[in-house]
Amino acid sequence: MTHVGNLREKPVITGIGCTKFGSVLSTPEIKGLAFQELACEAAFEAMDEAGVDPKDIDAFYIGSMLSQTSHLYSQNTQIADWLGLEGKPGVHFATACATTNTGVGLAAMDVASGKYRNVLVVGAEILSSTATDNPLKKQPLDPGMLWYWTDFGVDQAYAYHHAYDIATAYGGLPTLGYAKKYGIPMEKMDEAMFAVHKAVRLHGSKNPKAYVQTTLEQEAKKAGFKNAWEFWRSRKNPYLAWPTRVKSALNTVDGASAMVISSKKEAKKYFRKEPVEVSGFHWASGNYPWYGRDPTDWSLDKEAFGAAMKMAKIKAKDIGYLDVHDCMQIYQLIESEICGYFKKGEAWKAFIEGRTTYKGDKPMNTSGGRHAKGHAFAASAGAEIYEAVKQMRGEAKGRQIPDEPEVSVVHNHGYGMHSAVTVLKR
Amino acid sequence: MERMIEKFYKSLGKGKIYGTVCKKCKTFTFPPKAGCKNCGAHKMEWKQISGKGELLFYSSGNLPPLKFAKYHPYAYGGVELKEGPVFFTLIEGVPVSSVEAIEKQNKKMPMKVKAKVKKMAGTNIVVFKVVK
Repeated sequence: MTHVGNLREKPVITGIGCTKFGSVLSTPEIKGLAFQELACEAAFEAMDEAGVDPKDIDAFYIGSMLSQTSHLYSQNTQIADWLGLEGKPGVHFATACATTNTGVGLAAMDVASGKYRNVLVVGAEILSSTATDNPLKKQPLDPGMLWYWTDFGVDQAYAYHHAYDIATAYGGLPTLGYAKKYGIPMEKMDEAMFAVHKAVRLHGSKNPKAYVQTTLEQEAKKAGFKNAWEFWRSRKNPYLAWPTRVKSALNTVDGASAMVISSKKEAKKYFRKEPVEVSGFHWASGNYPWYGRDPTDWSLDKEAFGAAMKMAKIKAKDIGYLDVHDCMQIYQLIESEICGYFKKGEAWKAFIEGRTTYKGDKPMNTSGGRHAKGHAFAASAGAEIYEAVKQMRGEAKGRQIPDEPEVSVVHNHGYGMHSAVTVLKR
Repeated sequence: MERMIEKFYKSLGKGKIYGTVCKKCKTFTFPPKAGCKNCGAHKMEWKQISGKGELLFYSSGNLPPLKFAKYHPYAYGGVELKEGPVFFTLIEGVPVSSVEAIEKQNKKMPMKVKAKVKKMAGTNIVVFKVVK
């Protein structure tokens, strides 16, 4: 494992912000918003909630993955005055879909170094459409084009030209590998993935900022099926890459998230709530392929979880809330076992038993994950940090975990592949 | 700096499939890279792969990249090379006609496969074919 030093003082997250996730072409709350405006909505919520005077924000990070949609490069320059931070040190950064998880650690190091007091981290992404030569017109984005740009993020020199197949590599084979490793019959494995999806949808139905707000049961009934299981196994939910079904995968959306990270001393001056400490973080970057003979054995994730948890001085038993990257829902099983939240080979049963919902003893991904909440690449990780902080403060309303978690762990994958883990404590 | 990517693809046109071997720790890397994945050393030697390997698993996705859409459906799987590295590419000689066929075939893994050069979407690439 990488040598892990520690910060002289652990910074805290004060303000957090997140837009509704959806489409700027059609979702009423964000319809018509440009990249700058989406970013501002999340950033202003975070700064206002923190109560910090914008003059006291000493630096900021802005991240997005696909500048092909926003047509904005070096975004820190063009966003500075929009954010009210003209002239401040800003950086445009990206670790793809893990961007705003990585941003927490970058800002924490800045604050702990003593150079800055308060740092703003913003992530924004538009995936429904691209900017055009006409400021009043957005061009709807063809999904083939979206994945064309996205797949360039995977070993462009070789894998991309060798018939790279995202659905198989990232969904199908890890799901098959999990079933094979633990001797789970494929029909039972399908039942486990159905259980994961039911939890995803339950959480989405209780999150006003989620893209999909119906439960699977409601959708099944509307489609004329007598129950959700029959619907799950029907032609309405085909295989994306066997044994992974379409509903086990992400929905791409537009959105933004933001957070303010401050020193404890500074937070005392202006923040009226209980701040959440950034106790540990770590990242591991590696090229494709991400696994070998065992598609559930991810060395990058073991490294990131291990080093972040060591830095935070926590063990797996201390985790009260776990959020893992679920572009493909199989990672709710794989990652929860890698970090030790569940024992090896036990996660699939826990999902079938309903233990991972907000009411369960092992809550996970309560925002609805990247299918129900939706996946706005660089903004999603921040939305998951937002969820963890809300749960720890007891502000998650209809999906609140009854005993507010004392320790939360948030994990993300950034294509492809950057594994990022952040540990939060209250 | 050597033009490694160019050399790899141009060599495929001559029927040669190269990997790289670390001069320091002897770890084999495929496809070629400038640094060693094991020890990080920067001195690598070119070496042709034997072409022998084992197919570990495969499936077939319904979201192929635009470049390969015209070949859909195709089998995509992971091959463990005799030299060590695991490489993912298009697989010939396994069925993709139905989910049942893919499931049945995956129960027969690992299977012996052999590397071959194939021109796809305008580029010579390395694919693996099941050895009968």
